[in-house]
Amino acid sequence: MSEQLLKKPKQAPSNSTVIKFMIILSLICAVVLSALASALKDPQEIAKELDRSKQMMIAAKIFTHAGYFLIENGKGEYVPAKNVGNGTLALGTVSNRASNNDILEVYKRRFAPFLVDSKGEKTTFEKAGIDINYYIAEYRKSGYYKQPLKLIYEILPNSTKDSNETQPIGYVIPVNGFGLWDAIYGYLAIEPDGETVIGISWYDQKETPGLGANIAEEPWQNLFPGKKIFQPSAVGEIYPASAPIGITVVKGRVSEVLGDIPKAKSAVDGMPGATLTGNGVTDAYRNVLEGYRPFFIKIHQKTEN
Amino acid sequence: MSKLRPTSYLTEQIWHGNQVLVAVLGICSALGVTNRLSVAITMGLSVTFVTGFSSLFVSWLRNVTPDSVRMIAQLAIISVFVIIIDQFLKAYYFSISKTLSVFVGLIITNCIVMGRTEGMAKNVEPLPAFLDGIGAGAGYMLVICFVGFIREIFGFGQLLGYQVIPLSWYATPESPNLYENFALMVNPPVGFFLIGGLIWMYNIIGRK
Repeated sequence: MSEQLLKKPKQAPSNSTVIKFMIILSLICAVVLSALASALKDPQEIAKELDRSKQMMIAAKIFTHAGYFLIENGKGEYVPAKNVGNGTLALGTVSNRASNNDILEVYKRRFAPFLVDSKGEKTTFEKAGIDINYYIAEYRKSGYYKQPLKLIYEILPNSTKDSNETQPIGYVIPVNGFGLWDAIYGYLAIEPDGETVIGISWYDQKETPGLGANIAEEPWQNLFPGKKIFQPSAVGEIYPASAPIGITVVKGRVSEVLGDIPKAKSAVDGMPGATLTGNGVTDAYRNVLEGYRPFFIKIHQKTEN
Repeated sequence: MSKLRPTSYLTEQIWHGNQVLVAVLGICSALGVTNRLSVAITMGLSVTFVTGFSSLFVSWLRNVTPDSVRMIAQLAIISVFVIIIDQFLKAYYFSISKTLSVFVGLIITNCIVMGRTEGMAKNVEPLPAFLDGIGAGAGYMLVICFVGFIREIFGFGQLLGYQVIPLSWYATPESPNLYENFALMVNPPVGFFLIGGLIWMYNIIGRK
């Protein structure tokens, strides 16, 4: 061992050798990574798209985090379901895991995108002369609610007959805002009365794992169903035209902070250790839903009449 | 050390020199990613892949790598493999990649990977280095899968997402005295207790 060392005294390489080595190494790494990134771009986009469809169905209570479908059993309860072909759901069990294909079929059948203008009137992409794929990809980051024509999805009923019955059983609104670290993107599903929340989900967030990232977890999202997006007045009346809109994430528990006052109907428990994420969520709902207020007023009046 | 058979590099790392149980490395991710078995398996495979191949490449380049920049060179090689894994998971296992979130990226700083490249790979031939890396990853995977197994069974009553504790055993409003999931198991701190317990058991076995 020592002889070897004596024969080959280790000399520090010159600076130019070191620099050359690092440049070549970095170049090789860069080439490998760019080749990989371009090769995997398409599958990644497809995976993201599939995930967004899933999250929209989770918000609309058609799908669960555990991976099976849900249908309403007529008594207001959601029970496990399975895809029986062409996106129609029938009673199933929790072990009926949905395949990617099932998810796409059900998504296609149950969701129809359309646009609403600033007066709350519905219009379609064809009538407005907008390319739907371009619109959806282009304004995801900035938020659809800032556009003159805002994106919204109808939730269609799970009827087995192929009639022209298109009375929607709810609406899904794409929501975006800023959490503590980065932009957050999600969905909020609302009943046809234009005020009661069906469910929510967040599909893209970079909040602190274990704290703020709980916004993407089932237990916290389960606090939302039944909440009102219009804050009731002190006596419990709802005036959609003037009421503060949105759902407030309180610091602590609603029952302790607000008690039983009507305002508690549009507030949810905060996450311990994630106050700023909660504030971001509150702001996101307020800003986004404000843009859709005329539409909510319209459908709210329709159900009251 | 230099006269070891190549396979013994592999087996040495899995038990006698287990990185988590003996060297107590890689603990951070062992707590973060073990609340579901499927996540632990994915993480274990990813770390195995990264340690194996970065050791291989570091060993290949060991004679041309200038000493003064060897750490940076190792990090560059490690990051390439970590990014490969991250991109691959995002494309084909999106939901798992979402659960793992930052932990995939943090494999770069996993002490096991750098410990193996710096402590072993830069001193030995490529084949033993590769086997040593694979062994270190496999040893890590063994431990986190065990922890993940315990945590998922007791925390969720499930295994790989399938219910293993019969739903009929669970407490309901009508019969509140039955079984309930052990909520502590879902939280990261329990990983400390389990790994601590494992190290204790390991030492008892090792003493004989």
